[in-house]
Amino acid sequence: MKRILVIDDAATVRMYHSGILESAGYATEEAWNGIEALEKALLEPFDLYLVDVNMPKLNGYGFLRELRQQEIPQAPAIIVSTEAADHDELQAFRAGANGYLIKPVSPLQLLTHVRLMLGEAQQ
Amino acid sequence: MGLVKRKAIPPAEAAKPKQEQSCMELAACLEDADPRTRRRAARDMLHCPHAAGVLASRLNREPDTAVREVILTTLVRLNDPSAAGRMADCLRSEDAALRNEVIEAIGLLACDVSDVLRSLLADPDPDIRIFAVNILDSRRQPDVESWLIEVIERDAHLNVCATAVDVLCEAGSEAAVDPLLRLKDRFRSEAFIQFAANRALKSIRGA
Amino acid sequence: MRASPPPSEPVPAITGEDFLKFKEFFYRKTGINFESAKRYFVDKRLVERIEATRTGDFRGYFTLLRFQDSGEELQQLTNLMTVNETYFLREEYQFRCLVDSILPEIVQRRTGSHPIRIWCIPSSSGEEPYSVAMYLMEMWSGISDWDVEIISSDIDTSILRRARAARYSIRSVQHVPALWLEKYFKGVANEYQLCDDLRQAVEFTRVNLSEPADTFRYRNFDVIFCRNLLIYFDDVSRKTAAETFYEALNPGGYICLGHSESMSRISPLFKVCKFPEAIVYRKGLEAR
Repeated sequence: MKRILVIDDAATVRMYHSGILESAGYATEEAWNGIEALEKALLEPFDLYLVDVNMPKLNGYGFLRELRQQEIPQAPAIIVSTEAADHDELQAFRAGANGYLIKPVSPLQLLTHVRLMLGEAQQ
Repeated sequence: MGLVKRKAIPPAEAAKPKQEQSCMELAACLEDADPRTRRRAARDMLHCPHAAGVLASRLNREPDTAVREVILTTLVRLNDPSAAGRMADCLRSEDAALRNEVIEAIGLLACDVSDVLRSLLADPDPDIRIFAVNILDSRRQPDVESWLIEVIERDAHLNVCATAVDVLCEAGSEAAVDPLLRLKDRFRSEAFIQFAANRALKSIRGA
Repeated sequence: MRASPPPSEPVPAITGEDFLKFKEFFYRKTGINFESAKRYFVDKRLVERIEATRTGDFRGYFTLLRFQDSGEELQQLTNLMTVNETYFLREEYQFRCLVDSILPEIVQRRTGSHPIRIWCIPSSSGEEPYSVAMYLMEMWSGISDWDVEIISSDIDTSILRRARAARYSIRSVQHVPALWLEKYFKGVANEYQLCDDLRQAVEFTRVNLSEPADTFRYRNFDVIFCRNLLIYFDDVSRKTAAETFYEALNPGGYICLGHSESMSRISPLFKVCKFPEAIVYRKGLEAR
């Protein structure tokens, strides 16, 4: 079962995204910010990272930059952002993201992107 | 070799701090090329009663995270409401780290930041309004709920309301129930709002 | 006339929804995640604090927890929710990490032969710094090549006195291997007295971590142990402490927190470092 790390400081967002992913058969874990996410990834790397941008202490871009420097198995990362200020896909891809979604994310959008990143055939 | 016992920390008399620098000297040190100097100056400015303005102006131009962290800690401890506005200006920065550091710091200020919050919540940029809600989330003031209710009643933007609803899961009471129901009605076709509002209602109403 | 006994207060109920609300809040603030298996553990302590604070029910108590200016109740509750016993070789995997991973890294990067400096704060009654000393003597081959200074600090002078005296109960030494017990302790009455060699290996000092006048002299450390302290601090004090540690560490220096603590709730200043034995944190190599 593929493991996905859902990273967001808002509990509601984490629950919402985890719920969608689990219904589709993925195993999920959650992290409150980039530092906690790094700790979890270092303990046991994931198959995909779903990354919020604005979080306390270490934001999504900072997390990605750190992650990409670590000597652990790397995996695709999808940045999930709100509109306007964070509407900067270039910054996301420069930090090491593979995908970029804008909140609110529909279940179909999320699952389509995740399957694409994981190289899975469309259901 | 081995475990050493000696006076590893110089006793107080032997290690007087360098001539205590004046607040003006410290302010100048904030611009020094060495981040260590800047960091120590920011720390020591805790004893400069009018330092808040100088520290807050440095924020936007300070590239070193450690220096910024110390500047913000000092600002929080100085607790000068006049600095809050300049701190809030940093929310417009392209630098995500700076934005989030400032959100946290304004949240920690013990003084009244209502003016700044009001201004941020009226900002035309929805992301700025989201940051204002994030700040509210960190505030310990008892009227946080009424601010959040006002957001979900008045704000037109989905993500701003969604952020406020998430905070209401923790900070909400009976007073938030009707506003949440009205919000659900307003965004009837938005799955995330329905999910978030239901979660908040469940949390407020109990098992 | 005899007074009738007061009607007994109903024990406040903690519902499933209350537990979820509390669990999420506590996870957010501390990083500690209570699974539903811990319901009994958590509920019992919540009830204890609801009664102690006379807030009447979970709702009233949660409001206090969430909105109290000083954050004192959260600290009290955190104290109750975490295990704070101190004893020799507590969280031993970190001492293994020190010896097997951290010190080799430090030594490898070293230029010059100045002593390796370790700071243990809080000292409490001394079990931790003495554990470090003992572990270095017994488990680190590098001890014969390098000088090591161990400084240990606490805010409480009476506990510092106890730490210097270094006399311990059987409970405190229960995890010490028999050989080490024999080598470094002497039985006195029904207690254990630490030998002078180890007592002299640790310098005890009084420090208030939130007071820059106390901490500015603490510099050039290679390793800091700050275990099970910051979790009890309020947000601003935590931040201040982290910045003090950053100042106190050499570039590339390491800091170890308690097993249920994380920099994710404290500060972005340190890099997360995964060693086989533990996750620890490091000040940047290029930092000053």
